[in-house]
Amino acid sequence: MNCLAVREHLAELAVGVLPEEERPAVERHLRWCAGCRKEASELDQAAATFALALAPAPVPSGLGDRVVARIRQAAGAPGSRRRLRTAAAAVVAAMVAVAGLGWGAVMAGRAERFADRAAQAERRREAALEQFRKVLVGLPLGTQLPEDDTHLGQLAPTAAGRVGGGAVLELVSATRIDFVIVIVNGLPRGPGRLPYRIELRNGTGDVIRAGEIATLDADGGGQAFRQFQNRSLAGFSTVLVRDAAGRVVLRGVVGRAEGA
Amino acid sequence: MEGLLAGNEDAVRALYARFARPVYTLGIRLLGSAEAAEELTQDVFLTAWRKAARFDAARGRLSTWLMTIAHNLAVDRLRRETGVSRPTLVLVDEVPEVAAQGEEDPLIERDAAVRALQSLSEAERRLLARAYFGGLTAREIAEADGVPLGTVKTRLRTALIKVRRANQEKERL
Repeated sequence: MNCLAVREHLAELAVGVLPEEERPAVERHLRWCAGCRKEASELDQAAATFALALAPAPVPSGLGDRVVARIRQAAGAPGSRRRLRTAAAAVVAAMVAVAGLGWGAVMAGRAERFADRAAQAERRREAALEQFRKVLVGLPLGTQLPEDDTHLGQLAPTAAGRVGGGAVLELVSATRIDFVIVIVNGLPRGPGRLPYRIELRNGTGDVIRAGEIATLDADGGGQAFRQFQNRSLAGFSTVLVRDAAGRVVLRGVVGRAEGA
Repeated sequence: MEGLLAGNEDAVRALYARFARPVYTLGIRLLGSAEAAEELTQDVFLTAWRKAARFDAARGRLSTWLMTIAHNLAVDRLRRETGVSRPTLVLVDEVPEVAAQGEEDPLIERDAAVRALQSLSEAERRLLARAYFGGLTAREIAEADGVPLGTVKTRLRTALIKVRRANQEKERL
């Protein structure tokens, strides 16, 4: 099926009524054709506009708790025997966590109108997701990470920092080269701030310098990635982000990305 | 794991707070019952959590992504459940022409969506509603209205492109 033929079907695909027998060929084409994929995505947005315009129905109370419970169960929360099967799933969870931090930071503000805050939150969230995606694509490691070796944590502002947030992923492996990825969001870019330095600490006070974030985007987002050829990150579960003046602005602790 | 879960929960709750209403509303309209809409809402957020890595901010908005998941899941469910009648066709009147005044609706998406739909004629809105909410295929619409299939396809596409253009113009403002 060529682009011309595919585009004749995209409107029906967007509104969900493309007949079953025609769908596989169209979807196959979309997997490799970026131009038609863009067109399809824009028509999807137009179709979704219809759903978003509906007069909202009242949502049953407690549904949010039930949604969280379903996801907890799927993630292998304490109380469930199921666990995150792969570190890839853990990475996804971290991405969602990053998205949440962006929102949380913005929702906490009071000065702006809700609509402005929501729009700003979406921009921050999208920027954070985009950064994580770029870092992951750039990793020289392939996509499969051993679940037992992957440690995840969130970075929260300290008294000195007060703003921003982030997420950390450490690979601590007996058979692979250890690495750490740090993603931050909402950090100030003013004088004396950049570069931000990443520090890992263990329980006995040893310190590993784990790279720095030299630039931030317009939303205060940035990332650092460092591999450790000759040393293990085992036990270095405390993660600090310091500004150029040495103040700890973000802090977090990583833990295993499994259900234990 | 505790911290990760706590983080997840915050993220899921934030996502839920923002999008539960349009997702649940779509479920009611397409599936016709509160129970089915609730199940759909749970499925949508679970799917979004599982597929978070596939969401590409460069290629579309989060609201579009979630509503597309919701619509696909609802349509799949209707197709699976043989013997269940088609979803009730949503009357064009139910798609509001102007935003309700003074309504305390935090969903900026809704205001924007209502404005974008104003670019359509009533016939175009009705056509899109029959497909999107009513599940009628282009062929079924063509047969019902006695017009050529190609004409229905062209009209569907034209209507969507109008909405797309309205969305794009809104984003440029």
